[in-house]
Amino acid sequence: MHSKKVRWITGFAAFTCLLWVFGLGWAVKDYLIGTTSTATAPSVSEQPIAAVEQVKIVALGDSLTRGTGDIEGKGYVGYIGDMLKQKGTDISLINLGIKGLTSPGLAEQMQEKEIGRQIGQANVILMTIGGNDLFLGGQTLSDVSEASITGLEDAFLINLKAIMTSIRSVNKDATVYLLGLYNPFSEFENGALLSEVVRGWNYKTAEQLAEDPGTVFVPTYDLFQKNVNDYLFTDHFHPNEKGYQLMAERVAALITGVGGQS
Amino acid sequence: MVNLVQNEMTKLVGKRRFVIISIIIIALLSMFSYAQVKQAESIKERLGTVDWRTELQQQIVDMQNRLSSAGQWREQIQIQIKQSQYYLDHDVNPAEPGAPTFMRGFVQNSAELFLPLLIMIIAVDLVSSERSMGTIKLLLTRPVSRFRILLSKYIALILSVSLVIFLFGILSYIISVIMFGNQGWSAPVLTGFSTQGDTLDISAVRLVSQWQYIIQQFGLAWFISIVVGTLSFMLSILMRSSAAGMGTMLACLIAGAILSNMVSSWDSAKYLFMVNLGLMDYVSGSAPPIEGMTLGFSLAVLAAWMLGSLIVSFTVFTRKDVY
Amino acid sequence: MSDITLSVQGLRKVIGKRTIIKDLSFELKRGEVFGFLGPNGAGKTTTIRMLVGLIKPTSGTIQICGLDIAKNFTRAMRHLGCIVENPELYPFLTGMENLRHFAVMISGITQARIDEVVQLVGMQERMNDKVSTYSLGMRQRLGIAQALLGKPDVLILDEPTNGLDPSGIREMRAFIRFLAEEEGLTVLVSSHLLHEIQLMCDRVAIISKGEIIRVDSVQQLLSSEERLVWRLLPHELGRAVLSEQTTVLDETEETVTTTYAELLVGEWNRKLVDAGVSVLEMNRKLPALEDLFLELTGGESIG
Repeated sequence: MHSKKVRWITGFAAFTCLLWVFGLGWAVKDYLIGTTSTATAPSVSEQPIAAVEQVKIVALGDSLTRGTGDIEGKGYVGYIGDMLKQKGTDISLINLGIKGLTSPGLAEQMQEKEIGRQIGQANVILMTIGGNDLFLGGQTLSDVSEASITGLEDAFLINLKAIMTSIRSVNKDATVYLLGLYNPFSEFENGALLSEVVRGWNYKTAEQLAEDPGTVFVPTYDLFQKNVNDYLFTDHFHPNEKGYQLMAERVAALITGVGGQS
Repeated sequence: MVNLVQNEMTKLVGKRRFVIISIIIIALLSMFSYAQVKQAESIKERLGTVDWRTELQQQIVDMQNRLSSAGQWREQIQIQIKQSQYYLDHDVNPAEPGAPTFMRGFVQNSAELFLPLLIMIIAVDLVSSERSMGTIKLLLTRPVSRFRILLSKYIALILSVSLVIFLFGILSYIISVIMFGNQGWSAPVLTGFSTQGDTLDISAVRLVSQWQYIIQQFGLAWFISIVVGTLSFMLSILMRSSAAGMGTMLACLIAGAILSNMVSSWDSAKYLFMVNLGLMDYVSGSAPPIEGMTLGFSLAVLAAWMLGSLIVSFTVFTRKDVY
Repeated sequence: MSDITLSVQGLRKVIGKRTIIKDLSFELKRGEVFGFLGPNGAGKTTTIRMLVGLIKPTSGTIQICGLDIAKNFTRAMRHLGCIVENPELYPFLTGMENLRHFAVMISGITQARIDEVVQLVGMQERMNDKVSTYSLGMRQRLGIAQALLGKPDVLILDEPTNGLDPSGIREMRAFIRFLAEEEGLTVLVSSHLLHEIQLMCDRVAIISKGEIIRVDSVQQLLSSEERLVWRLLPHELGRAVLSEQTTVLDETEETVTTTYAELLVGEWNRKLVDAGVSVLEMNRKLPALEDLFLELTGGESIG
């Protein structure tokens, strides 16, 4: 009595109904009752096609690498990328910076398989680390003592060495640029004392890095020496966009020099 | 009975309900898939690469950066980070490009709001439209008991829900094949994550094939839709106008979406049906809105609501005077 | 099977504290057209809805062909066809789809029966058009076709001529008479128009405020309430002569209204002529429903 179309639709709907009941039952069985079956073996991971003439940049480190304080959210890493692109270099840019990261944190991050893979493919590695070790979120500012600073320094240098070893274990050729520390508190009460500490820290870091010819220590101390407040974000700790620009210009200039050899 | 059900289907077809629903699905799907293509493009532009590992690593780092300022989302994000890390470690792409991944994502995102809305288009005026057209007087003066009339309508609802889910599946498949290509079926899906507080339990994690995962997901989506459909069906009987029923149901669904995000401290809210609609989240392994909720719990709560509204529906319909 | 097709005993409906329908009882016989007459709001529609099972009576029984609709709903409904208020059909389906829709709800209805019914109401031409394109008259006919599908013994029509044009009304009347006389159906028709009931029905129940005031044959009811309007010259003398013979019910400057008695009118007329009064005009007048009501309820207004 009903039209063929309706009968067909009804029959088909009944079939789909059975299908979904089956799907639901299967889901309930799998997730509620549990299953041991592993349906398929993992597929063979195909290697990505090697990018031709592409400079791969991996940025590691703390909030400076992340770009905290930059209104545009790029940070020095982003600006470096922009500058290189402007010059016509084909780049890929991976930013692995994590806010508040300390050198033990970075050393731990280096152990991750995927991070290792990323570093392995990199031509250029950018890094800021140590700021959080030294300033401990501003705590050092109120209590500067020779002994405590030396303790922090020693621990940092050991971690840095471990980090470099990790990098070199997966990538022997990439140039590593480590940006040095600046003193955001130079205009504060005991700014002069802190400046001395920062200079010492940078010196020891540079000395340590010198063991590896493929690393470049990029000082930033001098950039923020005068008119520090013009280049700092409102938190008086992170650089603002102008500060990041200055840092980026310096590093970018160094990379173009190296970039050709890739 | 078969004849009565076919009567109801005739009316639904006559009202072009399935055509309307298909058009809505196609419109939304096109927007979704276009957005996805754009997103993929922008990621490629930002990272200068299409390697999923790089992208996922970047996502992990992004999430880690959000952790310090995440507040109440902290646990959720931590679980997500661990899950993504697990994918990375096992070399499984959670978002293998292609039709199946898009279908998975689409059904997961639609199951709580979009699909129920489509179902409501059908369910909410199954009974109230008969009343507003006046045809209920003809329907109820046949030599057929009211119980059988309502039962035929409910069976028609279940069939329509199944059909709509199927339309949804097939249309999303067709469109995603056009947009992304038909590859990616061989890539496995990691599933079986479960959460205990803020820790991710990976003891039951296993690999399943795409089509198995999709069938299971659609089964769950079907169940959610049936529950929402049954509740709308009840409102269709209790309320005189379709619009009032639609409004009430919509308010419940939206309230559910909002509540799911903020009820973590209101424990008894877990007995509300709308908080339990996120069945997919259990399968994909994100943290439930209220601690202690599990797939079994949610299924039981939903089934209880469904049963309750069926009892109300049939009691009211068989007793009610029709003016 | 007895001759009584529809029997209502002590039907009551109470909503909240209001009693809408008070103890209705009546019986309908095979082959008669029964009118249900009353003003809007008198309880006609509520009663009809109880008869067809849409509303449950508070107390009382309704039997269709001896089957109680409260206990034996589906079997009782098998003998009933009805249109309650307007013939609402599915506008998005064709006429044929509508009929099929209702046909499958009754066991044993074949396509042949559908065609037969369509033939009966003369709708062959338009069966494959959507109902939304039909005129009200066509919908009414399709509604009747739908009601007749199951070969019912009792047909209940609520205000069947509502909204029809004059020729449609005539057609409908003839059709209802045809169903009763040729097909032997019991037809229950409700209306708020007396002359309509008069033209269609054999018997009529007058209902007001939920009560049946009177059940009688149309003939009986009307003749007892019929009036005669006279226009006489000279007016005064004529009135005096008439008042000797019968009661003068009403009087205007030109006319005199008296009761009507078929056998006596000739006599009255002769008396007038003998007295030298010329009868200019003599009109039999049916009472308006309003008058009838005033008469029957003793001054209770229609509203």
